[in-house]
Amino acid sequence: MSGAAASGGKGPDVYVRPEFVVETLGEAEIGDVERKLSGLERAWNVNGVRKATILIGLVVAWQVYTVALDVEPLMFPRFSTSAEALWLSLIDSDLLRKIWFSVSTLLIGYTTGLALSAALVLWASAQRIGADFLSTCTAMFNPLPAIALLPLAMLWFGLGTASIVFVTIHSVLWAVALSTHTGFQSVSETLRMIGQNYGLRNIRYVMKILIPAALPSILSGMKIGWAFSWRTLIGAELVFGASSGSGGLGWFIYENSQNLETAHVFAGLFTVILIGITVENVIFRNVELRTVYRWGMQR
Amino acid sequence: MPEHAPAVHLRDEYETTGLGDADTGDVARRLSPWERFSNLNSVRKLTILVSLVVVWELYTRFGGISEYLLPTFSDTGAALFTALWGEHLLYMIWNSVKILLAGYVIGIGIATVLTTLAVATRFGSDLLSTLTAMLNPLPAIALLPMAMLWFGLGADAIVFTLLHSVVWPVALNMHTGFMGVSETQRMVGRNYGLRGIRYVVKLLIPAAFPSILTGMKIGWAYAWRTLIAAELVFGGAVVDTEGTGEGGLGWFIFANQMDLQIPFVFAGLFTVILVGITVENVVFRNLELRTVGRWGMQTI
Repeated sequence: MSGAAASGGKGPDVYVRPEFVVETLGEAEIGDVERKLSGLERAWNVNGVRKATILIGLVVAWQVYTVALDVEPLMFPRFSTSAEALWLSLIDSDLLRKIWFSVSTLLIGYTTGLALSAALVLWASAQRIGADFLSTCTAMFNPLPAIALLPLAMLWFGLGTASIVFVTIHSVLWAVALSTHTGFQSVSETLRMIGQNYGLRNIRYVMKILIPAALPSILSGMKIGWAFSWRTLIGAELVFGASSGSGGLGWFIYENSQNLETAHVFAGLFTVILIGITVENVIFRNVELRTVYRWGMQR
Repeated sequence: MPEHAPAVHLRDEYETTGLGDADTGDVARRLSPWERFSNLNSVRKLTILVSLVVVWELYTRFGGISEYLLPTFSDTGAALFTALWGEHLLYMIWNSVKILLAGYVIGIGIATVLTTLAVATRFGSDLLSTLTAMLNPLPAIALLPMAMLWFGLGADAIVFTLLHSVVWPVALNMHTGFMGVSETQRMVGRNYGLRGIRYVVKLLIPAAFPSILTGMKIGWAYAWRTLIAAELVFGGAVVDTEGTGEGGLGWFIFANQMDLQIPFVFAGLFTVILVGITVENVVFRNLELRTVGRWGMQTI
């Protein structure tokens, strides 16, 4: 019996392997079991080194591409020119003022949005009508891009910071309220009972039990809210940020692209990226490290 | 008793004679029809919606509000109806959705390729994490001025910005999902002899589907916001170059605002909300029910 044997007319084919005998086992190929890594290998194993290399490689590729192919600087400026433009406009303090303008507008909108959503969520956790109101409103307004309200806001509040703040609030409010409410609702009954056992009531109950217990989802709501409001703000400033004379970061980008100062446009984009990275990887990261990670709620 | 011992308060003993009637609520009771009715979720929400509409209508009708600031609800409804049947609103919706779909689908394709590369090699994963860390915080709309310079004033520029808004969140979540697939499942796949692309399609993607879906939902939210903003900000310049009266939903809102046709602005906003609700609660909801819900990976 060797090879494929199909005995009988029915039933599946059964493959029987041919038998074989191995006389002598060849020497196994032995790699090293343990070896000191060379300096280069150890350096390459460091995450930061590899990522820095990739960043530098991208920058070099950009520079070489633009210099070697002589790309039209109006379309795609060299890295060195963009970096120089960034440096110049930073020194000039024009860019710094615009950054401050954007960030202060964002902060006003963001904190007001947070306060409003806190009020809404408190009402929603206290009363059933509040919960219904909140869920109806979030279902309606969450899918509505805040920027679409900008034309109306311009009509209601005039061409100024007030309209930008209005749309920023809209972009923060619903995202934060939605995830905070979900967080509050999923606080376990045990934790609630512990709070009641300590005699915590009303505002202290919320501050000492509900908020810490729901912090992971509150934080994720705040991060989504930040992302939406940052995008909305830049978008809104692209349209009419210069109304009050100073203008923000979005306006800096728009103005320079209209003047075909492409290097300055890239400088503006760099700044937007830097602010985004700072907020996400420094501010939110530190808040997370000090709260939810330290409390062991999230890894 | 030592002096430093804390004071102990002993309760006075007492006897209670004759317990009063306990205050008894009802243990079980048939709810009245009204109570049962108001316990229905949809009824309560519908009531809230209707009362919001009524408040709006009354406020605008009797509050002496200028129709240029806030039109009445009935005007808005009429405007929506007119726009849908008389003014190509349906066509404009289709214009927006078409561009969105193009950008979204291509973006997911690029994200898949990037992530597959990242799973296969260490260099790929470093490249992906560096790129996402850099480009994810950059609002896509900020690239629109550059895109208009590179691709001209047309749908191409918008599609490019949409790509940017979709690729990074989707790639980020997909990669996180792939990394979180358990070793057991990976070994099952290898045991079946799955390699290369079949390994990714048959094993990694289904196992990481919850977080892929999350990424797709975030990508959709960003893309929808970017699209509306792009059409709103540069809608006239980008889409309406030949003056053909075409353009998308954002352009509809912007143009009507310029003409002070405020009821039509509100009609446009309603349409944006409706499209958003449809995608989130019908498309994604069904996708979830048919995949992660059905596979028991997530309770829905």
